[in-house]
Amino acid sequence: MLGRRGPDIAVWLLLVALPYWLNWVGGYTSLGSRVLVLGLAAMSLNFLLGFTGVLSFGHAAYFGLGVYGVGLTIKYLVPSTLIGMAVGVIAGAIAAALIGLLIVRLRGIYFAMVTIAFGQVFYFIAYRWNSVTGGDDGLSGWHRMPIDLGFTTVDILGNDKAFYYLVLVCFAVAVAIMAALLRSPFGRTLLAIRENERRARFLGIPVDRHIWLSWVISCLFVSLAGTLYALLNNFADPHDLRWDQSGDFVIMAVLGGMRAFWGPLIGAAIFVVLQDYVSSMTANWMSFIGLFFVLVVLFFPRGVLGIIQRKAAP
Amino acid sequence: MSLLEVENVSRRFGSLIAVRDVSMSVEDGELRAVIGPNGAGKTTFFNLISGFLAPTSGRILFDEQDITNLLPARRVWRGIARTFQVTEVFPDLTVRENLRIAVEVAAGYRLRPWISRHADAEISTRVTDLSDKGGLADKEDRPVGELSHGDQRATEIMMALALNPRLLLLDEPTAGMGDQETYNITRLIRQLHQDHKLSIVLIEHDMRVVFHLADRIMVLAEGAMLAEGTPQEIAANEAVQAAYLGEAA
Amino acid sequence: MTQLLLFNLFNGLIIGAFYALMALGLSLILNLSGVINFAHGGFLAIGGYLAYMLIPHIGFWGALAVAPVLTAALGLVVESVLIRPLYGRDPLYSLLLTFGLAFILEDGTRYIWGPGTLPFSIPGWLSSPLSSTLFFLTGYRVFMVGLVVAAVVGLFLILNRTRLGIRIRAGTLDLETVSVLGVNTRILRNLNFGLGIYLAGLAGVLAAGMLGLQPTIGSTLIMPSFVAIIIGGLGSLPGTLLGGLLIGVASGITTVFFPSASEAVIYVLMGLVLLVRPRGLLGEEGRF
Repeated sequence: MLGRRGPDIAVWLLLVALPYWLNWVGGYTSLGSRVLVLGLAAMSLNFLLGFTGVLSFGHAAYFGLGVYGVGLTIKYLVPSTLIGMAVGVIAGAIAAALIGLLIVRLRGIYFAMVTIAFGQVFYFIAYRWNSVTGGDDGLSGWHRMPIDLGFTTVDILGNDKAFYYLVLVCFAVAVAIMAALLRSPFGRTLLAIRENERRARFLGIPVDRHIWLSWVISCLFVSLAGTLYALLNNFADPHDLRWDQSGDFVIMAVLGGMRAFWGPLIGAAIFVVLQDYVSSMTANWMSFIGLFFVLVVLFFPRGVLGIIQRKAAP
Repeated sequence: MSLLEVENVSRRFGSLIAVRDVSMSVEDGELRAVIGPNGAGKTTFFNLISGFLAPTSGRILFDEQDITNLLPARRVWRGIARTFQVTEVFPDLTVRENLRIAVEVAAGYRLRPWISRHADAEISTRVTDLSDKGGLADKEDRPVGELSHGDQRATEIMMALALNPRLLLLDEPTAGMGDQETYNITRLIRQLHQDHKLSIVLIEHDMRVVFHLADRIMVLAEGAMLAEGTPQEIAANEAVQAAYLGEAA
Repeated sequence: MTQLLLFNLFNGLIIGAFYALMALGLSLILNLSGVINFAHGGFLAIGGYLAYMLIPHIGFWGALAVAPVLTAALGLVVESVLIRPLYGRDPLYSLLLTFGLAFILEDGTRYIWGPGTLPFSIPGWLSSPLSSTLFFLTGYRVFMVGLVVAAVVGLFLILNRTRLGIRIRAGTLDLETVSVLGVNTRILRNLNFGLGIYLAGLAGVLAAGMLGLQPTIGSTLIMPSFVAIIIGGLGSLPGTLLGGLLIGVASGITTVFFPSASEAVIYVLMGLVLLVRPRGLLGEEGRF
């Protein structure tokens, strides 16, 4: 009927109508926002992980730059949501560009180790520089500011639905760009690198340069997700920069299916709901999350969409 | 001036001399075979020409330009394409997708975030053309990883051809193939050589293929050049016979 | 000034030796099996907690001998049940698995022994200084260095003089060839993992004596191990040793001049090494 575009359209319809049906199934709008934000982060990570084949375990660093970028801007510089978001994204992009130059020649587990270490650097800065960042207590005392569009003001602070649609707009733009890139010749070079780096090199693709580009794009959109996350919570938490946050993004991508475009979003939805549920039931939610990781890796590595794709193919 | 000039290249790995002072000169449109017993250094020699390794001494000139230390990707841009002993393709992507990537890169589209419908159609046509020539038309929407060995090799060769190379390096194209597949690949190579006037250098163990295709043959043994000449000259060469038979004895 | 510098230099060496011990275990596992053992810190903690349980019964020295062995045994089980199925696959999966395992171990220790810091008793004569001028040289610190030296020497002997050790070294270079030569690589990887965990457990006992015992002790110590390996170079055990000592000493010296930057300096060093020599100080080319 709608052919290949069918699933995409279904997803968008669900997302646009979310505030209306989510309450009906027992959820609440800001949970939806949370899924969308973390889903964006996981999808951005997956641009690098699932489509370029590069394992990064330190994306929380750029997520965190977005988080603190927007928080610090609104609190100390300009009480404007949009400017705060811009600062967060630019900070993340610049950091990613510079660090990328340093590490792009590395591969495999070595690359992963280095991304973990760099992730820790930013966590450390957020944690230690408490005069500026609030240290372990996080950065509070600020909140998302209503957006003044000239002809009207959008009250994203008081109105959960309004904030959700802001998130959705950002999500849509980011996702559309990533989808377009993946369908383009450039995107295909990334697939080539994932499939067989040596062959890609011997077709004339400058592999390091393309990996760097994929890395920067991925981190940039993760920073965007970070800004939205901080705005959602009206709070900047150093925990958002820790290695466990990085791991969460990866497991969302794996759980939903790394080779499928929408996979990480589904993974994020499952993970967020599960985490919400488990942490309300027991103080030992950390063990359950850990167990969850172990079970997914051992028994469910292809992820939800991966399994569905398998079943669909003859 | 010849297309490819390899001047006295050597390659050492510590105390092991894999390639010892080898020179080779390939003309435009020539089909040259490199043969020799196992461990003679043939693949290492290819690695030097394609840029996978740098020579410890010697020079390599392509189109009269010194490419001795040029990176592999850059050599591809200059017009050298290569296939590998173990077929290197993109296994989870379809034949069409594999070919498409090669065509797009060759067309200079590697960084393009978007292409026009017109360009898209042009690329598509070229992909179909390559797929047909390689005998892959009926399998082009299947993941390459699922195809037979011969078809995977054909895909790899067509990908190399998509790059519009001046020089094609084929490393044991018929390795591990049965008679029928060997025949198909040999015919494909011959056709490409004739239709596109490419220079081809190929490493082969199968003597039927070598004598069927080659204009000239170079024999390597223990890293050094043992003999060089036309197929008839090589067939009659006693030192060559000894190198092969001496191995078996 | 020189007194202060000497004090911190020596302190740094001690810390460095400790980091090296942890990092060596991690490096062993990484080199042979290609697994980044995120749970290494968790095993370190287990080593400390097991020692804590054993001390009332067999004393400090008994615990020191036994706890690491028990921890290693746990490691052997974990490797064969959880990690072995993942060897053929993308390293992503083993990283995620050890990641989850780290969570389970940390939360598990918190559940069993509570979140607070437990008192860890070391023999009295160890904690007193050896001399009044070199007051920073407490018996325990010297003992720690001595133990680390002994462990490193022991590791060196194992790797060079025993059959197991030689196979580990060969396997690190080329596991496929080793298996073709008839060595059971499953057992090899299993024992190698156990050896690495033994070192983690040992480090745990030592750390507990020095820092006090709490569930987060592992996760706070694992990062310097990573950095030590990156600086020293992937694939090189001497490099890891060097890396550990280097970051310890750098940290110690920085404390004299910029006390607040003493933790950050190891990351600065890492950045420098990556810039100048990406494969690490003693790393092998093409290892990655």
